[in-house]
Amino acid sequence: MSFLRAVQLDDKFSPFVAFRESLGFVPNLLRAQTVLPRVIEAHTKLESAVRLREGAISRIQKERILLIVAADRQDTYCVAASSRALSSFGVSNRQIDDLLNKYGHENLSAADLACLQFCLKLSRHAPSVQAEDIEALRAYGFEDKSILETVFVTALAVYSGTLSVGLGPEPDFGARKITSRRVDPPRSAAVHAFLPESHGAAQRKGPYLRAPYLSPKTFSIIHKTYGFIPNFFRSQTLQPDLLEAELEAAGRILLPEDVLTRAQKECILVAVSAANLNSYCVATHCNLLRGLGMSAEEGDQVAADYHLSSLSEADRALLDFAVKLGVRFSGFSRGDILQLRTFGFTEEQILECEVVVAFTNFANTLQMGLGVEPDFEPPLILGQNKVHLSAPPSLPMERGSVAPSLTAMQDPDAGLVAQAQTGKLEAFEELVRRHSQLIYRALVAILGDPVEAQDAMQDALLSAFKHIAGFQGRSKFSTWLVSIARNTAFQRLRGRKEVESLDGGEYEEDREFRPRQVRAWQDNPEQCYSKLEIRQLVESGILGLPAKYRAVVMLRDIEQLSTDEVSRQLGLSAPAVKVRLLRGRLMLREWLSPHFTTRATS
Amino acid sequence: MITCEEFFLEFGDYLENRVSPEVRKELELHVSQCRVCQVLYDSSCKTVKIVTESGSFDLPKSVSDPIIDRVMARLRAGST
Repeated sequence: MSFLRAVQLDDKFSPFVAFRESLGFVPNLLRAQTVLPRVIEAHTKLESAVRLREGAISRIQKERILLIVAADRQDTYCVAASSRALSSFGVSNRQIDDLLNKYGHENLSAADLACLQFCLKLSRHAPSVQAEDIEALRAYGFEDKSILETVFVTALAVYSGTLSVGLGPEPDFGARKITSRRVDPPRSAAVHAFLPESHGAAQRKGPYLRAPYLSPKTFSIIHKTYGFIPNFFRSQTLQPDLLEAELEAAGRILLPEDVLTRAQKECILVAVSAANLNSYCVATHCNLLRGLGMSAEEGDQVAADYHLSSLSEADRALLDFAVKLGVRFSGFSRGDILQLRTFGFTEEQILECEVVVAFTNFANTLQMGLGVEPDFEPPLILGQNKVHLSAPPSLPMERGSVAPSLTAMQDPDAGLVAQAQTGKLEAFEELVRRHSQLIYRALVAILGDPVEAQDAMQDALLSAFKHIAGFQGRSKFSTWLVSIARNTAFQRLRGRKEVESLDGGEYEEDREFRPRQVRAWQDNPEQCYSKLEIRQLVESGILGLPAKYRAVVMLRDIEQLSTDEVSRQLGLSAPAVKVRLLRGRLMLREWLSPHFTTRATS
Repeated sequence: MITCEEFFLEFGDYLENRVSPEVRKELELHVSQCRVCQVLYDSSCKTVKIVTESGSFDLPKSVSDPIIDRVMARLRAGST
């Protein structure tokens, strides 16, 4: 019995076989997910790799972590499961009760106690974890491999705990009593209280753990889908088995489109990560949303407060459900599922939503525990909050936040824009003189013709004036100006018979590109030509690029905007910008090579 | 040592100087031992330098000013 209907699965369903072999039974938490067998496969991959085998830390150490995190969440299902496992390893009932109610017992070593306190800190408020917490564990003799596994087990505890709340399975065994009043474990300082006196925790940024090089082929599923390999995965290479299980689980949960859409799942990842104050995951998944066609501003709004986004009422209800289950779970009940059904969601969709929420909590916990460095700049809403670097705990966003307008400090144009919006022409003139170069280059980038770009500039400037009152300051003014220039250029392109497209698959054929010119270049090749000649060479090379590469090279290498700015201005994801930039640069290299190789210039 | 294919998968981030020390070490080792990738890396770095320093598509004030002046004149005259 659970909140969702169960479907009879074949006795030979491999995850069930795996559980029967290792535990002797199939947990009800798994049986509660039978309407979508692939999520059971994902869950089993994680359980098998992270929990059900001896690793750098022992099975008992793992079950202790699972038990205290479950107890802290008042999760009777998971408490019963881990209590049973600990009993089977010979841990006495009294010791289990002490773990449940005091987060420790008298036979635990100081190192094990410090480890449990670290796990509680990570599961309760991951943003408060800092490099010094990791240093403390090292001082107790934990090696990086063990720490990585400890973080994984904590993340798994949060994953299972989230599903246990969302699915309400019957306990597999008799329930154990958990102290009804949540006992505060020692706060972060207490982790250090056990430190040897000689220990001096060094303040340093993430990543916290050693991460040896692994071939990018290891991450092929991620590379193929997202077009890049996030630092998140690269930071887990010390334990390739755990990484592999995680990648397989991610593949089964996040990539299929047969139940919820990719965009719905990415919105869940963004909204729950934002509620967990995880700027890393928000930045990554906002970028992936951009790759799925959502604008940067809309993605920021989903992170800030999806209630004010343009998502459908049903999708906003889905995110309400997700955030409640993921972050404010103490008030979650079967009623929340019934309410979500009224928006037309099926049981499969509700289950998949719950699993995506659980996986988001899993990923957020891992990221915070490992101090993964960002791949992208976080959106404005979390820009000031470097939570991956252990910002002091703060409350999740209050409901009703709008992705904030940029202040004068963030956008040097803000003052002039405000004046121009009241009709002050001098302010508008100053703005367009300031940005004329950028507007022109954006026009050349799309039109591929400098003369036509000069001609189009007048239209773009008039259009900017016409619409400036509607500019809300959610992006930089310069970004907005480029979008005006872009629209102007597209209008002109539509008048042409042959339109070069800026669209095209996100990551597509570009990986196949291989350089043909392999002759060595001169040491200082540009010195063999005059500045004017170099400029003419580069300009004709850029104008000869297909539009989608030309636009990225123009803005990134000629205008020298950051990858994130280019991505926002062209409405592409940052990974897509990176792929196109590399392709464009390599094509330019091919173009320039005959002029700069040793033989050409000698 | 990593293969040329693996090197190429990391190449974009390497050019942008956005790889971790562990990845950089592997890539540098490969470049030091593979002539083709060495040429590719060297010439790509030079391409980026030449392109970024070329001053391409600079719109001289003598061209942009009259365009802006015409626009402002239209706005001041009240016709957009």
